[in-house]
Amino acid sequence: MIAKLISNMHFLTAMVLFLIGFHTMLTHSNLIKKVMGMNIMETGIFLFFISVGYVRGGSSPIAVPGAEGYINPLPSALILTGIVVSVSLTAFALALIVKLYNYYGTVDADKIMQLRGGEE
Amino acid sequence: MNHLPVLLVALYLAAALGLPLLGRNKKFPAGLFAVGVAGCGLILAAASAWHVAGTGTYSYFPGGHQAPLGIEITIDWVTVFLHLTINLLAVLVLIYSTADLSRELGGGRAKTWYYSLFFLLLAALNGIVMAFDLFNIFVFTEIGTIAACALVAIRPKRLCVEAAFKYLVLSALGSGMVLLGIGLLYMVTGYLNIGAMAQALPKAFAMYPWNVLVALSLFVIGLGTKAALFPLHVWLPDAHSSAPTPSSAALSGLVIKVYAVAMARIIFQAYGAELFSRIPVPDVILVFSTAGIFAGSVLAIGQTDIKRMLAYSSVAQIGYIFLGFALVTMNGIVGGILHIFCHAVMKSLLFLAAGAIIFKTGIRKIEDLAGMGYRMPLTMAAFSIGALSMVGIPGFSGFISKYYLAFGALAADRPVYVAVILLSSLLNAVYFFPIVVRAFFGHKEKQMTWDRLPWAMTVPMVVLAALTVILGILPGGLVRIAELAAGAWLN
Repeated sequence: MIAKLISNMHFLTAMVLFLIGFHTMLTHSNLIKKVMGMNIMETGIFLFFISVGYVRGGSSPIAVPGAEGYINPLPSALILTGIVVSVSLTAFALALIVKLYNYYGTVDADKIMQLRGGEE
Repeated sequence: MNHLPVLLVALYLAAALGLPLLGRNKKFPAGLFAVGVAGCGLILAAASAWHVAGTGTYSYFPGGHQAPLGIEITIDWVTVFLHLTINLLAVLVLIYSTADLSRELGGGRAKTWYYSLFFLLLAALNGIVMAFDLFNIFVFTEIGTIAACALVAIRPKRLCVEAAFKYLVLSALGSGMVLLGIGLLYMVTGYLNIGAMAQALPKAFAMYPWNVLVALSLFVIGLGTKAALFPLHVWLPDAHSSAPTPSSAALSGLVIKVYAVAMARIIFQAYGAELFSRIPVPDVILVFSTAGIFAGSVLAIGQTDIKRMLAYSSVAQIGYIFLGFALVTMNGIVGGILHIFCHAVMKSLLFLAAGAIIFKTGIRKIEDLAGMGYRMPLTMAAFSIGALSMVGIPGFSGFISKYYLAFGALAADRPVYVAVILLSSLLNAVYFFPIVVRAFFGHKEKQMTWDRLPWAMTVPMVVLAALTVILGILPGGLVRIAELAAGAWLN
């Protein structure tokens, strides 16, 4: 059991990262921390994808003489797109935070809710 | 002719990129250009529908690389139905926006940026409904998410920015879960193509049931968040009510449903109806959509702001669509697909009418609407048609989809959902009828005046109201397309 867990360490780490990020995003009221949580969550997913395609002892998927088995290049290519998506989400979220800070003078979600009050 | 649907996405992407450049010229008529591009989009969608009607559904492979190595795009009846819905609504909403946007966004270049974002959103929506590859669905979903959030945040008001941030965070959570689900499925099947995955899944399910089940629940929760399936709807009322009116109409009318279609496509075409019904996931979705139908209606009753009330009503209406899909019967799915179109038309109509009232009088509070029927008779007549259709009065399009949903519930041997549909229609009446009654019979104004709205606002409302009535009386063609679409999903 333990040996199995250790040999699949990367999957376990990916899940732990995903949950840490998920938890941070939902429970922290600081908006910057929410964005950090989003990035941690996505890093977890990226690690998961890369692990799916990883072959122990495989070389990078370029045809070179003497290579025995290649790692699966598809997940890596997908994650390249995933990283682009994650960067644009982060940039957009940070831009919104700048605007929110200008309007409310704080980056704390709870304080913003108080300031908002009964405004419709 | 096979290239038409792909050209549709290319057209919108090109327009989205070109607009900021063209807009550098101060005299550039951005609104006119936007309506023209969307008009071309509607013509492309109609031509593609004509082509499919003639030669049947087909798969398209960009670059000629065959699946599963290449990317597959499917042009089936669901795609055709959604393409027509999206592009028709887009044209009408964009015509309306040419009159409304200057008030909501202020002057300057904001209008050009707005149209650019709108086209990005349209490209994403058109892309999601024809993607037949899980990763493609994910990428288009992300484009759509960012564009939709930006369409809320673009209004220079602090409430909008806050609503957009909430929308963005929850959507990002949803997309994270979808991506993880895609990874879990890829791990056990080795495919991203939905068709190839459908063949590999039964074997994978026997060997690794947990991967397949966890992926399914991640899809349901992730896409459910984006589609505002109760109780994951918390972002919707703020975002849809504070956005500029054309955005509200497009977000409530189109965006949330496209995610519902993406979820249904994964469920019915990757998992298959048979595997899907073997696990109790349909029951869970049924419970949530029923809860959403009631909670959305009850919360809408308590609202004082008209746009907020319409936003809560969307939570209830998206419940009907999921209810239809989760019944897993022919008529239920037909009802769900029909409701996508009917709700898109009537909710856009209601949002545009509410926006016209705000444009003209600045009134947002429901109690202040008394006598509005005498000041803006045309707008209130359009609003009333939308409201009657929403309640499901026979003769309006909303009745047709509920009729099919009810038959779907009977076919699934779950008559309790017929009661749900009937009861919730009564609840809809509770919050829509007082507005109509108050507007026309509240307190009589001295004399009746005409609306005096710009024609760009009246024409879309009249067209949408006419569609609601015509499709309520002559639903034949629409129902046939929905039946063809549902047939492909059930086999």
